[in-house]
Amino acid sequence: MPWTFSQPLDPGSFASLARVLASQHRADLFFSGRGFPGETRCLAGIEPCEEFLVTPLTTGCDIKAFALGPGGPALGFLGYPYGQILRGLPIGKQSRFPLGHFKKYAVMAAYDQQTGALEITSRDRVIGETISALCRRTLPAAPVFSRPENLGPCQASLDRQGYQKAVSRALERIRDGDIYQVSLSIMFSCQWPEFDGPGLFFDLLNRHPAPFFVWFASGRHRILSASPERFISVRRGRVLSQPIKGTARIGAEAAIAALRLRQNPKEDAELSMIVDLIRNDISRNCAYGSVAVSGHKSILAVDDLLQMYSNVSGILRPGRSCLDLFFDAFPGGSVTGCPKQSALGIIDALEPHSRDIYCGAFMVIGGDNDLDSSVAIRTAVYDTSSNELKFYAGSGIVIDSDPASEYEETRAKAENFLRLVGDAG
Amino acid sequence: MLTLLLDNNDSFTANLEHLLAACIPGEVQVRPYDALPELDFSAFDLAVISPGPGHPRAYPAYDRLLESGLPILGVCLGLQIINDHFGGDTARLPGCFHGRTDRIVFAGKHFDVARYHSLYLRQPASCLDVTARNAGGVPMAARHVSRKILGYQFHPESFLTTDGPFFIRHALDFFAAS
Repeated sequence: MPWTFSQPLDPGSFASLARVLASQHRADLFFSGRGFPGETRCLAGIEPCEEFLVTPLTTGCDIKAFALGPGGPALGFLGYPYGQILRGLPIGKQSRFPLGHFKKYAVMAAYDQQTGALEITSRDRVIGETISALCRRTLPAAPVFSRPENLGPCQASLDRQGYQKAVSRALERIRDGDIYQVSLSIMFSCQWPEFDGPGLFFDLLNRHPAPFFVWFASGRHRILSASPERFISVRRGRVLSQPIKGTARIGAEAAIAALRLRQNPKEDAELSMIVDLIRNDISRNCAYGSVAVSGHKSILAVDDLLQMYSNVSGILRPGRSCLDLFFDAFPGGSVTGCPKQSALGIIDALEPHSRDIYCGAFMVIGGDNDLDSSVAIRTAVYDTSSNELKFYAGSGIVIDSDPASEYEETRAKAENFLRLVGDAG
Repeated sequence: MLTLLLDNNDSFTANLEHLLAACIPGEVQVRPYDALPELDFSAFDLAVISPGPGHPRAYPAYDRLLESGLPILGVCLGLQIINDHFGGDTARLPGCFHGRTDRIVFAGKHFDVARYHSLYLRQPASCLDVTARNAGGVPMAARHVSRKILGYQFHPESFLTTDGPFFIRHALDFFAAS
């Protein structure tokens, strides 16, 4: 029988606790930022005791055996390149970043921001008591996160000319009918010698909340994700995906910005294509007649941006697990393009970098019928041996896209990320 | 009925599968394009050619199916494959049309239909009757003058199309009557 402990805790004390857990107890964090009704759960996996690393030879069955076996939940990620393997394509690029990594933990902490209830479950009484003792203590105030003065020059995998050329080539493939839409990204890297990962995580979580915040350690890598986008959730057989396409600054008047976003024909077409794609991707494992679209072109405010999304839902077919569905739908359509297999090949040909974690997914796997996952966008990876921080930005290319403005948009997204990291604002 | 749905590595095939399953009694079996050369068509009552990427020229394995006598419904690339097989010309559509609806008149009624295509039937094959065009004259539906073969340029399976099942039932009625 697992050992459990629960107590009410205010959000500030929970944040202090989680920071200590991440710094001293190898905790991985799957948090929701405040202000998103329905997304109030914060999970911390503490003291990992079983780990599963994904290799090119790993099958979906291998992942299922680990993730759905005893001792769960399993927390972890699948990188974009594993999606290329799942879709039957070769991985074109060398990378030392793992294809995926899942862990189970000696102790799990679940905190509900709405109720303030903290529940700790431990496989082992001694470790459980150590962790729960931390909850009862008044923790010292966390050290103030000091933002770097200057991260030094950023290297980009594609410069202006290179990116615009890639967009132009993608447009030719669109005119040839090989794809309708494709996402093209740039990888940025810079040196950050005194990287305080947990400090940055909580600083961003406080100042720029988003529904899917993740802090995850994988070997020498530390991954930080501040994603606004749910990929797939499965709860008691009910499947939900919430693809995002279309972004606008809130500006002076949120209602007007939302209206403009919903009425923009380019954004409308981009979202509609991806909704049809996601319908397809979940339909492979959903019961006939169960797949539906609701709240098409809904608007979600995340930080100072409006995001347009839709709900695509279905009922899992008998005999299929949440991971069967996930593997058939991965990588998420909003970050590949359509048709997906064709888009994956074109991305591989046009991007010089490996996407690694970018456009992969973070997953919380509770059982056959219990999964939540986010799309790994607005995600950075820190390499503790080279002190290099990598992050990515991309744009969806459709027939109406202009290479120069897509480059500006992608740069602006990257600069926005740097500003989040570096500025107080 | 046993329906064969041929998948051209497309990302809308499962949507089409669900629509067919809702409209046609019996089973829908999905097979990839690569399996086409080895397929025995004799067990099937109907074949459906999915949408997909690229030019119809890149799909020569359909020639055997199109001469098999099986009733055939083509969607998007599927229509273009039919057109190409019977000697029509498929070429780039100026401006493309992706992820949006167009209002067309079909079988005497108005429909909003989802269009996803970069190519179009620039020259429909002489044995095809174009039964619907959009306001700009782009062929939206065509059927063979003497065989049980019919195709749609738009996507009945899209969530943007109003009354997608109508177009599947219309095809079945055409096959039954011709």
